[in-house]
Amino acid sequence: MTTPLDLLLFTAAATVAGAFALGRWRDIAWLTGAFYIAQLIQLTGLDLPSASHAGFTLFGQLVGWQMDGFGRFFAIITVGAAAAATAYMGGEWGERYRQAGHSLVWLHGALAINVLAMLLLLAGNDLIALFIGWELTSWASFLLMAQGGERALRAALRYVPYAMGAAMAVLGGIVLTHAFTGTLQFTELAQRVPQLENWQLALMVTLFGVGFSIKMGLLPFHLWQAPAYAEAAGAGTSFLGAISARMGLFALALLLVKFVSLTRLADLEFVSGLFDARDLIAWVAAFTIVLPTFTALKQNDARYLLAWHGIGQGGYMLLGIVIGDATGSAGGLLHVFNYATYQAALVLSVFAVLHRTGTADLNSLGGLVTRMPLTFLVMLMGIIGLAGLPPMNGFVSKWLVYRSLMIEGRPLLFLMTVIGTLGTILSVYKLIHNTFLGQLRLEHEGIREAPWSMTIPMLVLVGIGFVTGVAPGLPLQWVNDAQAALGLPVLPHTLGGVESSQGGLDMLWVVGVLFAGFGIGALLFYGVGNRSKRIHQLDNYAGGHFLSADVRYHYSDHFYAGLMHRIGPLYRGSFTRLEEAVASANDTLAALMQAWYRQRVPMLTLLVAATAGLGWMVLQ
Amino acid sequence: MIALTVALPLLAAFLLPLLPALARQFLGPLVLLAVAAFGLCLAGNALDAPSVVAIGDFRPPLGIVFYADGVAGLFVFAIAVVTLLLWPCATPNGQPDPQITRKHSLTLLMAAASCALALSGDLFNIYVFYELAAVAGYGLAAGSRTPAAQVATFRFTLLGSLGSLLALIGITLIYFRAGSLNLAHLAELAPSTLHDPLGLAGFLLILLGFGVKSELFLVNSWAPEVYATAESRVSALLAGLISKLALLAVVRLLVLVFPVPEASQLLLVLGMLGILTGELAAYRARDFRRLLAWSSIGQLGAAFVAFAIPGPAGLMAGIAVALHHLMVKPALFLLAERWGGNLAQLAGAARNSPIAAALFVLFALSLIGVPPLPGFWAKYLLLSGLAGEPAGLWWLAGLVVLTTTVVEAVYLFRIIGTLYGHQQGSVMQSRTATTGSGIFALLLVGTALSAPLLAAPLQKMATQLADTDGYVAQVISATITAPQRSGTAP
Repeated sequence: MTTPLDLLLFTAAATVAGAFALGRWRDIAWLTGAFYIAQLIQLTGLDLPSASHAGFTLFGQLVGWQMDGFGRFFAIITVGAAAAATAYMGGEWGERYRQAGHSLVWLHGALAINVLAMLLLLAGNDLIALFIGWELTSWASFLLMAQGGERALRAALRYVPYAMGAAMAVLGGIVLTHAFTGTLQFTELAQRVPQLENWQLALMVTLFGVGFSIKMGLLPFHLWQAPAYAEAAGAGTSFLGAISARMGLFALALLLVKFVSLTRLADLEFVSGLFDARDLIAWVAAFTIVLPTFTALKQNDARYLLAWHGIGQGGYMLLGIVIGDATGSAGGLLHVFNYATYQAALVLSVFAVLHRTGTADLNSLGGLVTRMPLTFLVMLMGIIGLAGLPPMNGFVSKWLVYRSLMIEGRPLLFLMTVIGTLGTILSVYKLIHNTFLGQLRLEHEGIREAPWSMTIPMLVLVGIGFVTGVAPGLPLQWVNDAQAALGLPVLPHTLGGVESSQGGLDMLWVVGVLFAGFGIGALLFYGVGNRSKRIHQLDNYAGGHFLSADVRYHYSDHFYAGLMHRIGPLYRGSFTRLEEAVASANDTLAALMQAWYRQRVPMLTLLVAATAGLGWMVLQ
Repeated sequence: MIALTVALPLLAAFLLPLLPALARQFLGPLVLLAVAAFGLCLAGNALDAPSVVAIGDFRPPLGIVFYADGVAGLFVFAIAVVTLLLWPCATPNGQPDPQITRKHSLTLLMAAASCALALSGDLFNIYVFYELAAVAGYGLAAGSRTPAAQVATFRFTLLGSLGSLLALIGITLIYFRAGSLNLAHLAELAPSTLHDPLGLAGFLLILLGFGVKSELFLVNSWAPEVYATAESRVSALLAGLISKLALLAVVRLLVLVFPVPEASQLLLVLGMLGILTGELAAYRARDFRRLLAWSSIGQLGAAFVAFAIPGPAGLMAGIAVALHHLMVKPALFLLAERWGGNLAQLAGAARNSPIAAALFVLFALSLIGVPPLPGFWAKYLLLSGLAGEPAGLWWLAGLVVLTTTVVEAVYLFRIIGTLYGHQQGSVMQSRTATTGSGIFALLLVGTALSAPLLAAPLQKMATQLADTDGYVAQVISATITAPQRSGTAP
């Protein structure tokens, strides 16, 4: 008898097989897309928890798969992101990609492998199954990162030491856990891990924590992520950006909340009564929000800008989960979903611009709103979400996190999130301004809107972002399942948001009021005072001078010069230098080791060793 | 049957040059096939009960015994299969090799000596067959006839001979103390006679001596030179097979005669240093064969660390690590037949030889331990064995294994990056090498798929290997003629 989870995993495996077997077929995206939709349908209808028959016993370890509400929540996002990316690949973009000499077969295949690997990770029911999924996910995402040219490959290779370091930290954690508790099963771990002694717990949390944080791109292990995601092939970038790094968050939440439990985590105190492991993680999350966000502000490549934001947004999610009350954890988890919708849309819109103009350099674009209005709309809605403003869904999840920080009495952390949001707003404005507003470049005069195969997936994504912004109750249902599976308090919700005695949120009202305001403004503008006249931008003048095509008035380079004058000296590149230091230390050690193997008279070593050994034995 | 596994290839090795050309071609492979079949039977039977043969019906301590337990049977099987897959054939550029008969003879000799090494139940025999395998190894390594190869082999021979000498001194010391060379006898006698500094000194000397072949740290600096210059198939045999058998001899000694913390800690420390030096040196390697050599030093270091863990858990991990390396490293050396030399020339080679490149990726993933490939299970067993020991050196070894794996991943993936680079490749992989390593890959994947089935026999083998009392009882009961025994026992 196959279970629903068996069927799901089978469908995912069939997607992989189909992508490779029929990859050369022109309409392969329809097939794999249909398979992803099938997986989505299966996922939404999954009984929780749903076990799989797949599994085996090896060296006394039972390895099996079972998906609960927590895994299902991430799985839905994963498959959804894959479906959007596939639709995008299916049309003109994929054709161009193929013509550029890249392999579309491998892109489809890598995507399908990623989905399968992530499902295996998300459904793992013991640490070995989790590790199998973890490793497959790591190498599958390497495969996806490496698609699309030499620069992509180089960025992906930079990811290797990080991925392997993560894997080995996790493996070390697994064998220690087994030595400490005698089990690797999730249910038993949840009972036994909290009873460990503090030093054992600290060691475990450190090893697992480091491993999972690397994947998530938590400070100080975040450097690999932005180049690896940004340089990948467009559809791959959107998938990677939307969900890939969240696998680290998934595992981290599993560890901290389900196995260790947040209260037990707080027993690991650094300064008695003042600062414990839980605070440490919250602060790491807070710095992960702020620092990468301000790094994003300095980027001049739209893809890098978004990728750096991806790292920063992870901080909100972890912060919410570590705060651990119903509101905060719901906010953190909901942010995973919300972020995926607008990040995927934003990345796709940037690649749509890249597709038409050939560049994502923020200093070489501008004024495209008249040429690519739909893409502009997507980016506008996307950045509203990323900045966390109504009516998009990003507002709801961030509001929940802010709210919980306030309720739980964490004003400093709250301040950090606000600084992060400020940085986000500044940098997303730079993104849309430099791309779509201002002066259209002469060479972009003939640009057309991106083809429907690209705009439709983007519009659907921001559409979801809008709908779930107006009615956050829809995804909150899944969030509640996830909270329950983790053992967290569940946030009661309505269709429009949350009801709480301490001040609820009803997005139906918020959006209603917002649009009413806009409506009144529009009435006033168009009905009463609209004297505007539409002219071509090259038929224009300023300060008495005609603005011809050779006059560049689009201000893009060194954006926010005033701000940078203030905060510029704070960018020190410390993490990059740390990375270089580790690499060069490794190089030096390696050179020393090679010197050992170049010795001229190895016989002498043998004799000396034998004599020394004998001497030692005799002296004993 | 046990004796045949040694006698057949030995006989064939000496007969080969006398036979007509047609028979010469087929005799070797046929003999190896037979040995493989014997090995499989031995392993199967031995899992129920190990069998003992006193050669020539001379009883120990005067006579010599072959002891076939599961591990020995498995190794005999592996020797035959791996030798068959690495059977010397035409030179890499496709021309017939005038030295081929000599190489075939030496290879058979090496196989015979290796089988005997796996089966021997006394130190004297182990030494003799170790020497025999070593000499065959020197002959094969010198076979590529380039000046560099001959210099490397010369140094290798010197080091190896010195090692053998030390091992012989160690054996003499043990004989001097215990008055016997039979491992079963020694196991009985060891607690009273050998577990003192002098006995341990004997173990140290043997360890260093046999360590030369098993690429033990301190005495392994020959490996990169020899592997870089010898023919790839020879390197594959030396790195894949001979190293493991020398290791097996050390392990038998460790388990049966020296189950003391000093001995296992020595193994642990040297193994750890082997991993560190090997993997880090490989990180900077610019030559494909040298890289493989260093990586194999690291892998054998891991095997030493595994065998140092007391009890069946450690032995199981050790066997798993050794067998995994046995499947992967020869295959990689086969690929080095055409890909050897500077790593930079591999740029874009995946376009010319996609299958070979894919095979390399598979082996690389297994080496760094990506589940569900066998390399992962080997690493998992090793690490969980280490984690099960008390904190201190053991955990440090675990840390070393974990961190060097990261280094390993970096250099292996650097090669993968080069292979799949966007230039047009210049080198073409040969079909024989691709086929050969393809078979290894099938074995690897087969092992991965049948891992749950293979776990139980592996566990049983490790228990058998760890079971000193069982070993002693078996050998004594099989060779029970009371007068001789009572005559020598103190």
